[in-house]
Amino acid sequence: MILERMAPRATRARDDAGHVGLRLMLVLALLGVLATSFFVASCGDTAATDDPNSATNGDPVEIVISAAADLSPVLEKLAPLFEQESGVILKTNLGSTGQLMEQIAAGAKVDVFLAASTSAIDQLEEKDLLVPGSSRIYGRGRLVMWTREESPLSVRTLEDLVGSDVSRISIANPDHAPYGKAAREALESAGLWDQLQSKIVPGENVRQAFQFADTGNVDVGLVALSLVVKAGGTYALVPQELHKPIDQALAIIASSTHQSEAEQFVAFLTGDVGREILQEYGFVLPEEE
Amino acid sequence: MGWQAFLISIQVTVVATVMVVIVGTAAGLLLARVRFPGIHVFEAVLMLPLVLPPSVVGYYLLRFFGAGGPIEGLFGVNIVFTWVAAVFASAIVALPLMVQAARTAIRGVDPVLENAARTLGDSEPAVFFRVTLPLARRGLIAGTVLSAARALGEFGATLMVAGNIPGSTQTLPLFVYDAVQNQDYGVANLVVALLTGMGLVSFIIIGRLDPARNK
Repeated sequence: MILERMAPRATRARDDAGHVGLRLMLVLALLGVLATSFFVASCGDTAATDDPNSATNGDPVEIVISAAADLSPVLEKLAPLFEQESGVILKTNLGSTGQLMEQIAAGAKVDVFLAASTSAIDQLEEKDLLVPGSSRIYGRGRLVMWTREESPLSVRTLEDLVGSDVSRISIANPDHAPYGKAAREALESAGLWDQLQSKIVPGENVRQAFQFADTGNVDVGLVALSLVVKAGGTYALVPQELHKPIDQALAIIASSTHQSEAEQFVAFLTGDVGREILQEYGFVLPEEE
Repeated sequence: MGWQAFLISIQVTVVATVMVVIVGTAAGLLLARVRFPGIHVFEAVLMLPLVLPPSVVGYYLLRFFGAGGPIEGLFGVNIVFTWVAAVFASAIVALPLMVQAARTAIRGVDPVLENAARTLGDSEPAVFFRVTLPLARRGLIAGTVLSAARALGEFGATLMVAGNIPGSTQTLPLFVYDAVQNQDYGVANLVVALLTGMGLVSFIIIGRLDPARNK
């Protein structure tokens, strides 16, 4: 009898719970719609301020720099100096030159491309994706063999890599990263490529190859001089005759909506401040040769 | 090249699945049949790889197995950039699926039947292998298939901890990534079709294991 009396109340309670649940869901759905519309509206606003004409209204202009991974320490130092001088904000997109080139060819919204090769710039030029006459070489990089401070190894020549105390060597991806290509060429010229095959760990780009060595997960990194100059550890230069020179070229992308700011950045990088920083990180400047 | 990636994928998936089935079933049994303090925390930790970004799982694995990590300290081996690292990456991300499947399947076995076996003198392992396991087999097989499919599809953590070394740690998902980077769309399409097909087959098998649909 108690059960009989309890039953209807229990059902009513469940019904109430059902109503509450339904109401809650409606409220949540409404909130969701509202949030979405605000989000879309605010996106529209930022898109409007991205417009070059409204840039003078106080919002700082942002330019996107796609840069080869070996430039990461250079840009880290240079970016704040440039932003301070020009009031333009830099957004850097680091990767392997080949990957960045593909992104630009696929229509990525980029203003300046700092490649680690000349061939990537040439290929984009052939596709008419660059501002005519904007391409130029800004420096020549060097390939080094790097070991970290704690490493007991002493690697001076490429032949030292054959030793059994070296079990893993990182390089940048030889298919699409210029420093990886140079590493492969150097090892091929030295006649060691096939022999060292089983030791080689390719990174996505030269910065990842360096990170592999920096964390001690590989013994030696065949990486860019610019990455290791201030990183501690020990490095030995790979003889330049063993690979094609790593001439690094830049260009302004034709689809850029901030061409004058892009030019300003290129002028800064190739001007006194930029040249000094590039030199500091081991780049050989075009006129020095 | 693609053939090598296929063989590596199979090797990694098989070893990872065996590990996951053993560990996952044991954990599922524990969660289904034993009450202990901190059970929710234990379960949450096991489920974590399901929601963590692959980069986070990869980072944990790097710290655990990599240079200066506890495994290197204890055993003096560094498995980073070997296929063994790919096995652990795949196993970790597949484990939550197996644990869930095993827990549900084992919970669905009537404890009365287990107790009957106990009163007839069966030892605990005998109860598990002769009563619980056979009765939970559909769910366990479904969990195994799902785990294997997930292990086969692992990409992010693998890339971080095993690298992308053709012929050594490059599995099919990494092979697709490389093929797209190098604009080899022909091979990419082929492997994409293969992986999609294998995924579909996995779910068809799992669907057929559901007793509700098999009347």
